[in-house]
Amino acid sequence: VKLYRYRRYFQTIFLIFFFSLLTLTVWPLGQIYLGAFLLANPLIALNSLYNGVWKMEMLLAVFFVALPFLLGRVFCGYVCPLGFIVELTGPKKQPLIPTNLRKVLLPLPSFILIIALIFLLFGSSFYLIFDPLSILTRTSTAVLYPLLDKLARFVGDWLYLFKLLQGTVDTVTTFLSGKFIFQKPLSYQLQLVILIFFLTLILVSYWVRRLWCRHLCPLGALFGWLSRFSLWGRVVEEDRCIKCGKCESICPMDAVREEGLVTDKTRCQLSFECAEVCPTEAIHFGPKPKKAVYNPSRRAFVTVSGLAFLNAIFIKTSLSQQKKLFSLIRPPGAQEEPSFLALCCRCGQCMKVCPTNVLQPSLLAGGLEGIFTPEMNFNHAYCDFSCYECTKICPTGAIELLTLQEKQRTVIGRAYIDRNHCIPWADFENCLVCEELCPTPKKAIVFQEAKVKNFQGEVVTLKRPQVVAERCIGCGICQFACPVPFKSAIEVQSTSLALLDQS
Amino acid sequence: MCWALWLFTASLAGCSRLLNWLPDHRTPVKKSLKVVEKPDTSQKRTGKPPQGPPDLAVVKGSDPEENLRRALERLGGIEKFVKRNAKVVIKPNLLTAKEPEYAVTTNPLLVGALVKMCYEAGARIVVVLDRPVGSPRLTFEVSGIAKATQSAGGQIKILTDRNFENTLIPEGQVLKSWPLAKDVFEADVFINVPIAKDHSLATLTMAMKNLMGIMGGNRSQVHINFHQKIVDLNTLVRPHLVVLDAHRILVRNGPTGGSLSDVKVANTLVVGTNQVSVDAYGATLFGLAPENLLYLILAKERSLGEINLNKLKIIKENLV
Repeated sequence: VKLYRYRRYFQTIFLIFFFSLLTLTVWPLGQIYLGAFLLANPLIALNSLYNGVWKMEMLLAVFFVALPFLLGRVFCGYVCPLGFIVELTGPKKQPLIPTNLRKVLLPLPSFILIIALIFLLFGSSFYLIFDPLSILTRTSTAVLYPLLDKLARFVGDWLYLFKLLQGTVDTVTTFLSGKFIFQKPLSYQLQLVILIFFLTLILVSYWVRRLWCRHLCPLGALFGWLSRFSLWGRVVEEDRCIKCGKCESICPMDAVREEGLVTDKTRCQLSFECAEVCPTEAIHFGPKPKKAVYNPSRRAFVTVSGLAFLNAIFIKTSLSQQKKLFSLIRPPGAQEEPSFLALCCRCGQCMKVCPTNVLQPSLLAGGLEGIFTPEMNFNHAYCDFSCYECTKICPTGAIELLTLQEKQRTVIGRAYIDRNHCIPWADFENCLVCEELCPTPKKAIVFQEAKVKNFQGEVVTLKRPQVVAERCIGCGICQFACPVPFKSAIEVQSTSLALLDQS
Repeated sequence: MCWALWLFTASLAGCSRLLNWLPDHRTPVKKSLKVVEKPDTSQKRTGKPPQGPPDLAVVKGSDPEENLRRALERLGGIEKFVKRNAKVVIKPNLLTAKEPEYAVTTNPLLVGALVKMCYEAGARIVVVLDRPVGSPRLTFEVSGIAKATQSAGGQIKILTDRNFENTLIPEGQVLKSWPLAKDVFEADVFINVPIAKDHSLATLTMAMKNLMGIMGGNRSQVHINFHQKIVDLNTLVRPHLVVLDAHRILVRNGPTGGSLSDVKVANTLVVGTNQVSVDAYGATLFGLAPENLLYLILAKERSLGEINLNKLKIIKENLV
């Protein structure tokens, strides 16, 4: 059986599987583990393992680490949903690349692996923003699902113009509410940046076929490195081969060497497009393929690792690192800042599952290396007291798994009242929205009654709010709901010790 | 193919702009609740207990369903309110996502029983709706209301912007118009099912305050000059039936609660047709007089209902 002829089916199934899991990643998370794709990702699992996090679910990754030893980069050709999208959007035929450029591109995966290793040593998971599954999850979360949400809204609004359909629209809306359509339309900051990031890799793969998968993808590089020991692969019968070179020009991964006889095992994804075009049918799947792999020279190795060292040092000591903002608030259960930045894979699943949309990708609040990590935006929404889904979904352990009781006691920040804006303090009128909504069992916002004269000379009794620091957990509902226009009169600031130490 | 796609996208975008221009949400619309029977407007009462059905039925007992059946029997039966083929809208208190034992949201057993009884009386459709502060999905599920409603055959409805319409409040002094849920005005019967809770700004939140849940827009603004605004809203929206859930009441740290030590088991159900009177009785459950609540005094001044308990005909029953 020539399984590779059914490659499209494998890819389609895994793409559908990926997006069904992601679509189901909403409150309430059931028993199915929805982060499966990211947990099975060896790059993320190894990063977590190196940083001392072990989860039983990571056993999924063991399978994908073992697979290359048998079958090479079969993941890239058959499973990877991003690879499939790159393949679908890319050109069908291989444009000719100049030999010089080919030589430049050839060592890139090894270099990327070296750079990733050095970032790993420096305790920065910055390189994981280039992980393919992380990219796809993040882009879908920040761009695709908000788009679908808005689209569903427009369709609903249109159908609502017809009186007869209103009941149906309402029923469907109620059913989808909080799962697909949200009370407030889903929106994310940095949407455009994330979209451009994604489009760039699609576009470069249009220029050179599957350039992303071939030369740039760090997960592919890891699989490639493991694949050099693979047992099975592309085998060429030498006596049949006429060295026509068709296989070399069709290969989407640039894995054919020496006019077709030899395979670069670090690249071959076993798609066997070469076998389909081979006029003599000399190519087939078999054991012990002839291999040729690229090994960086000592000079190249030293140069690249030196540059990566400098880069990592720059990121770790740059000005933005020192100027971390105190408004940076991580989700509950997040590790202390250095560990968080060493673990977080920037996949954005926590943002996908958040029912209030408070978790947002951050830009520079956590320093340059903290790009796309989750932060709380309390001007946009708040952290619901009875929800802890982000702690369940995190595939890396950057957000530790908490119980609901633990989460409700986890302090992520502290609210401060700005008396110059607060209505009872500044305008001499009662308000108390923040006190009313404060969810802690003993309210963290209390009020004092005061009899004061307003500008008309009347004596009014005011209930003036105050924050009790030791009760406040920093959920931000006060900041979110404060009725003062333009600027909330109560704001949550970070209590992270890592931030306090630096100042 | 490509240009057709562009044209389609452009027209979709253009149409969505058009939708925004529709005047729906601009000018306030005049609306009123449907009248089931002529409301009792005689506010002036003599010292004698009045004739006819009682104003309030107060039943004590641990089973919400039994309490509800008994109380409605005393008021003349649910058939008096819910006619055959009626569309019923029930408004419980669904503030935030808390389990029912914390007494933050209306008892799901009571809501379930009410839905069941409406169907028994021949209702065509029973809808339970609210606009919670937080994520509605969480609130409906965690509070147990979604399950209770659906197992009794009713529907939950999560309100969106489409369901609110800027409504004129003719008798409003401060609140002259506000986006209100259309469903309430379209329903044949509107039943208010609040829970009695402590509330820092309002002192207590019961039936009158519960109507904030049908308000759209930015409700934080309502908290400024709060009492007057609540009374203004109550001049327009006067539910046909008010069922005050006081089986578990929150006596401190309201309205969001969160600690079982703040919950008092009162096992009481107060049913009436005038929510001002229901709230007046509800205040006594917390050891307060109706006059302690500013919005009750204001409602009395505007002749929305009687708050002097001695002038009300109250039937009390103890099922324990």
